[in-house]
Amino acid sequence: MARITVENTTLVVTVEGLDKLWALKSRLEIPLVNVRGATHDPGIIRERKGVRAPGTHLPGVITAGTWHHEGERIFWDVRIPAKAIVIELADERYTRLVVEVDDPRAVVTLIEQATTR
Amino acid sequence: MGRPRAFDEGHVIRAAAELFAAHGYEGTSIDDLVNGLGVHRGSLYKVFGSKRGLYVSALRTHVEEQVGPLAAALAASGDLAQALASAAASYDSGPAAGLLLLAAVERAPHDPEIAELVADAFQALDQALADFAPPELAPALTATVLGARIRKHPVPVAHLARYIRPTGD
Repeated sequence: MARITVENTTLVVTVEGLDKLWALKSRLEIPLVNVRGATHDPGIIRERKGVRAPGTHLPGVITAGTWHHEGERIFWDVRIPAKAIVIELADERYTRLVVEVDDPRAVVTLIEQATTR
Repeated sequence: MGRPRAFDEGHVIRAAAELFAAHGYEGTSIDDLVNGLGVHRGSLYKVFGSKRGLYVSALRTHVEEQVGPLAAALAASGDLAQALASAAASYDSGPAAGLLLLAAVERAPHDPEIAELVADAFQALDQALADFAPPELAPALTATVLGARIRKHPVPVAHLARYIRPTGD
């Protein structure tokens, strides 16, 4: 699971608990200008994820880490698909982040309000 | 990056407008969009950024293709009764009929950009009707047209014209 906050003009994604071991990453900072949007997307877990490098994949349990798929680099940290949100980025190392958050609706609203102001 | 888009963006936006009109914003999932539009999930995110991004494009296109032309066509009406009848029959219609009214109720209270799109679309009707009635009454006439769309009962709205003096009298 990830905790998502907005600090001034930066979106901060903090990977929580043991997930930071599986994802091999504990914190991402993205300038808000590079955040294109956020979407609650429980169905994305069934998509082809591509090649993992590096990270952890136990199908049905956890998808965490960096994945490469059709030229895109995607960061995953999802155990519970119903709570997955997709954060689309521009001009960043990652094309998009697919992360589990405690309250998807609230986090999507937070990101939309921070980026469409 | 750099790979060509494998779909017709305009076609996808119009089809998305129909899905959003049928199921509402909350009721349309990314799975619904991916299956209904025949577009890869990754392409959807790459082109539109988010479900909201696609929704804003869909609503804007619906307003441009349905609401704008109707407002322009109303200018050719013979009198207020005819203008009201046309508006009550055709405002916010087309393949994604009702999307504007749904957006006004469902998304505008939470999203300033959508609120602005909705307000502009309502004002276009105000301005079209102001050609046939005192301008200060135009917002009330627009409200009546919107109500007739919700009640799906367009005919009686035209009777209002009997009680309103044309502009300039």
